[in-house]
Amino acid sequence: MSAPDSPKRQTANAPRKPQAGASTHKISIKDRLNGWAQQHQLVAVETLMRLLTKPLGSIMTWLVIAISLTLPGAMWMTLDNLSQLSNRFQASGSMSVYLKTAVQNDQAQQMLSRIESMDGVADVRFISADEALAEFRASSGLGEALDLLPENPLPGVIVVEPELALPQQDVIALADTLRSESRVDSVELDTAWLDRLHALLALSERIVWVMGALLALGILLVVGNTIRLSIAARVDEIRVTKLVGATNAWVRRPFLYTGLWFGMVGGLVSWILLAIGWALVSGPVEDLAALYGSEYRLLPLSAGAALVLLLGAMLLGWLGAWWSVVRHLHRIEP
Amino acid sequence: MPMVRFDGVSKSYPGGKEALSKVSFELARGEFAFLTGHSGAGKSTLLKLMLQMERPSKGQVFVDGDCVNTMKSSQVPFLRRKVGVVFQNHQLLFDRTVYDNVAMPLLIAGYQPAEAARRVRAALDSVGLLGFERRNPIELSGGEQQRVGIARAVVNKPQLLLADEPTGNLDPELSEEIMKLFLRFQQVGVTVLIATHDIALIERMGHRRLILDHGTLHDSGTLHDSGPRAGFERGDHVRT
Ligand SMILES: Nc1ncnc2c1ncn2[C@@H]1O[C@H](COP(=O)(O)OP(=O)(O)OP(=O)(O)O)[C@@H](O)[C@H]1O
Ligand SMILES: [Mg+2]
Repeated sequence: MSAPDSPKRQTANAPRKPQAGASTHKISIKDRLNGWAQQHQLVAVETLMRLLTKPLGSIMTWLVIAISLTLPGAMWMTLDNLSQLSNRFQASGSMSVYLKTAVQNDQAQQMLSRIESMDGVADVRFISADEALAEFRASSGLGEALDLLPENPLPGVIVVEPELALPQQDVIALADTLRSESRVDSVELDTAWLDRLHALLALSERIVWVMGALLALGILLVVGNTIRLSIAARVDEIRVTKLVGATNAWVRRPFLYTGLWFGMVGGLVSWILLAIGWALVSGPVEDLAALYGSEYRLLPLSAGAALVLLLGAMLLGWLGAWWSVVRHLHRIEP
Repeated sequence: MPMVRFDGVSKSYPGGKEALSKVSFELARGEFAFLTGHSGAGKSTLLKLMLQMERPSKGQVFVDGDCVNTMKSSQVPFLRRKVGVVFQNHQLLFDRTVYDNVAMPLLIAGYQPAEAARRVRAALDSVGLLGFERRNPIELSGGEQQRVGIARAVVNKPQLLLADEPTGNLDPELSEEIMKLFLRFQQVGVTVLIATHDIALIERMGHRRLILDHGTLHDSGTLHDSGPRAGFERGDHVRT
């Protein structure tokens, strides 16, 4: 380090050219824009480095954000998987083919073997009118009353199980073909329980949204509070910068970037948590599926959902910071 | 258009007595003046009014033709960029280097780093602190800190330079050097107003004096010639 010059030594030299000039500090628009972009870049990098090199002060904030994101993320992943599964169920939904009452059992047996040989049919089963009546008698408890009927009102039924992998539209086409048979009265796709499942899924989705909204509010509060603390720790700096001409936008900027980075880091940590959760669960699920003869695999969070999660987290971090900055910064004046 | 105009300005702090009462004066462009008065006379208050750090209770303050007290807060930063200030407590930040302290007004104004570096060096050179860039201000003596504050005030080449006790921590010799530095800024057209207790120094240097007494202003007028050239010569003369 060079020895400090005293002003005395300097002014003892030949008269120095003065530096100040009242009208020599014009900056072009282009330079201003460049400077502005550079300033953003600088602040972005600086705040990120500060966060990463001194994580102790903010690690709780990251974790809270990460957990707040992981909960709805995990539920979202689960729902994704369930609706995926339900689509498969739909495709493999069995159908009941109700025969006309006039159809005799032997005619029905003929039909049975014909349907069995159709494309896309995995299994068929015949329930004769008598069997149906016996079943009804047992389950309805009407017993004797049914004996009063002059003849069996129930039709014979052929239950058709389409192949597991048969696409939805082929199942419907199969049902239409069967419906057009002369001895067939009506064909019903067995979808009542599926409808119920879908209603349940829709409800769960709604719950995920509500929970997500509450947790988002939590993220806002946590980021807001952390930013409030960091504003309090930098009061002097804010005063001085305002005194030498910093605009409010300039003073806000580092805090807003910090909020953004909080959201980003929290989002990335929650990705990791979700990936760990998926790895832990997907093995057993595959084993379970294998027991049922299915090749079902647990899907990870889709890329789109993961991106929404991350960007949402960044937006929330930014909003939390904004909220805090708007409330606290204007009070700090030189 | 004068650089500074006070028009019947009074200032009462909430709950306090009147710090300034009916103060009126003008500073021409390129003028060099001292502001004196006993402790509590209202010197710092008067300077603060020019930066909208405080607002007058009555009257109007104009800087560079703009009315400061009615200025929108969005315009205030641009006012402050035109005005360099040296504070009574030098207001340096101890969590960063001398360089970063001095460069702050330039970063805020959006200078390119290379240009900023050049100007910071020039400003530090002018206060005799070249080579101090990497030091932390906390390691410096009171006088050195004061000079860092001055470098920061002039680095953006302000049109108006205000200083509140800029020589408070300096020995007489160094005080005079600092005053000569201010004179050099005046020489290139900067309007300079310096609040100080140092009567002896003022006496030696001459120039216009604004004297505050319990908030009331007594203007010495331009008893001494205070034109830029004359001012510089007078300052030059002091050196011998
Ligand atoms: N923020 C404030 N709130 C209330 N009263 C204040 C405030 N600032 C200053 N004062 C009062 O206003 C008067 C003028 O204060 P000011 O700081 O302007 O004096 P000064 O001339 O700068 O004094 P010094 O030479 O000691 O720095 C004093 O009586 C002071 O007590
Ligand atoms: Mg004072």
